[in-house]
Amino acid sequence: MTKKYYAGCDIGSTTGKAVIIDDEGIVASAIIPREIDPEETARLSLSRVIEKVSGLDNISDVAYLVGTGYGRSEISFAQENVSEISCHALGAFFCNPAIKTIVDIGGQDVKGIAVNEDGSVLEFAMNDKCAAGTGRFFEAMSRIFRLELDDFSEISLKSKSPLSVTAQCSVFAETEVISLLAQKNLPADIAAGIQAAVAKRCFTLLKRVGIRPEVTVTGGCAKNRGLLKALEGILKEEITPLSVDPQLMGALGAAVYARRLAASLRV
Amino acid sequence: MRVLLKMNNLQEYLAGLLDDPCNEVVEQAVAYGMIPLGYTCSLIPEPVLSAGRLFPLRLRAPGVSGTETADIYLSSVICSYTRSLLELALDSKYDFLKGWVFAASCDHLRRLYDNLGYLNKPEFSFILDVPHKNNEAAMEWLELELEKLRTALSSHFNIDMSDEVISTSIKENNIMLAELRSIGDMRKEAMPLFTGTEFHRLMMALQAAPRKLLSDIPGRFRDAALKRGGAGKFRARFMIVGGELDDPAYTGVIESMGGRVVADRYCTGSFPGLEPISESGKPLAAIALYILEKNRCPRMMEEFDRRADYIINIAREYSADGIIIQTIKFCDTWGVESSLLVAALRDAGIPVLRLEREYRTGGEGQLRTRVQAFIESMKK
Repeated sequence: MTKKYYAGCDIGSTTGKAVIIDDEGIVASAIIPREIDPEETARLSLSRVIEKVSGLDNISDVAYLVGTGYGRSEISFAQENVSEISCHALGAFFCNPAIKTIVDIGGQDVKGIAVNEDGSVLEFAMNDKCAAGTGRFFEAMSRIFRLELDDFSEISLKSKSPLSVTAQCSVFAETEVISLLAQKNLPADIAAGIQAAVAKRCFTLLKRVGIRPEVTVTGGCAKNRGLLKALEGILKEEITPLSVDPQLMGALGAAVYARRLAASLRV
Repeated sequence: MRVLLKMNNLQEYLAGLLDDPCNEVVEQAVAYGMIPLGYTCSLIPEPVLSAGRLFPLRLRAPGVSGTETADIYLSSVICSYTRSLLELALDSKYDFLKGWVFAASCDHLRRLYDNLGYLNKPEFSFILDVPHKNNEAAMEWLELELEKLRTALSSHFNIDMSDEVISTSIKENNIMLAELRSIGDMRKEAMPLFTGTEFHRLMMALQAAPRKLLSDIPGRFRDAALKRGGAGKFRARFMIVGGELDDPAYTGVIESMGGRVVADRYCTGSFPGLEPISESGKPLAAIALYILEKNRCPRMMEEFDRRADYIINIAREYSADGIIIQTIKFCDTWGVESSLLVAALRDAGIPVLRLEREYRTGGEGQLRTRVQAFIESMKK
């Protein structure tokens, strides 16, 4: 019997992610920068991941494909599309069934998700039409410091006395941070203040869905260690790390959905 | 009028009536010598504004793209519905109106009344004071207020507004409401013959043009729906609840994700908007009783349980799988109500999605994600 592969493709606002799983677990994954056309991003990210799997030559060799992310409905060759909220919940649950609460910080929005016992969504909340606290916000902030995102995160961890950054709006926060730098404040303290402000915003979102341990962070910003530290401080509990790159969680959840849907068709 | 036998053609016609505050039917009515009066709240009694040559128009702000001028005059915590109306008023989009009738229903719309008064004073302007409680004294007060409205309209427009005229207006209005109610009831079917968006468009068109000139439209809608024989598949049945919602495109986004809106309880919707006014007794007393008893606006005090039960009962009667509560940002009345409602509806075992929005439909991507995730969370 030929081995079956299932794929999930998460078309976000800044990157395209693809994950291929089989009946045992994760086989391969890929993350690429977004193209202008969401469908092209999907095609490229899937091509990239398919290259890594011997026995797969093109997208049609995959038994079932589920699309997710903001560009999900543009992936014409996907058999199904599922919201990124459900996919992040299922992806995190697949990695660790003890996860009950998720903060998904993507490129253009932040979501708080409460997860059911079976990995489905119990409750969710999203930020409103605003880039504050998203990947784009961090990109803008690190640009002011002339740092890469990783370095921005690292310097925030060195702060001994974080400053208060009050502006929530990305544009106003930029102005405030430039003023703080002009006043010769330590970049580390300003960066830590930014992390704390975003953590507080995430905390507010989580309060709306209910905070139940274990808590994890997904999305590209989950790689920002400074933010995780600030969030742990405000939550007063540890963030559970995931066994898989947290940026892949939407694509992974989509792949798990693909496997489930393929199985239901076989029944 | 064009041949409107098919639902698509009818919907196109209705959508056209919603493109501009002054549509072709309004122009036709004005040419016939009818008098258009704008109003902004469900507490305003349409039969009073329909007496004789008068006709009411529920004010909307179609095509508003920004509220830069209105923002100069209104505080930052005034809702975008109020803001949008003032913007279009200052753009002279409502200059065809012969008068505005307001209700002192919320502080936001009161500010619109104030600002219009000194920025673009209407020919006729009246604000109806509505009590916050439903008791004998409130009833007496409201009757007096309605009497003032009758006198003001009658003397300004030189129109006979006797009890007989208003009673006739109530009767005519009730006939249209009954017809719309019977169409709305068709949504109880397991596979409704029309979408929630189509019904929403019908409801809005009949509030955006004189009903007397559109009296055949409900019948055409019913015939077209029966003839078509179905409105397609869906994943979940929804009831929409909240304040002002006059853009069918919003319902359209919800339905594009697999929802089917089968019931609605919002200011411009069918519940409680299509309930009849009593035809017995003095007409103004019947209208006052209707406002205090039937309107079920969250601004009324001490009636939350009654309002929540009303929504729960409709959701069950129309087999809604879930309820979407939508409120315009900064709407105090519905903002407070919806917080309590979420808990009450969940206690009743009904899944709830709460959405805050701006008046103008936008952010469709986020709305789609929310609705799709809501449907998925219900395992539909």
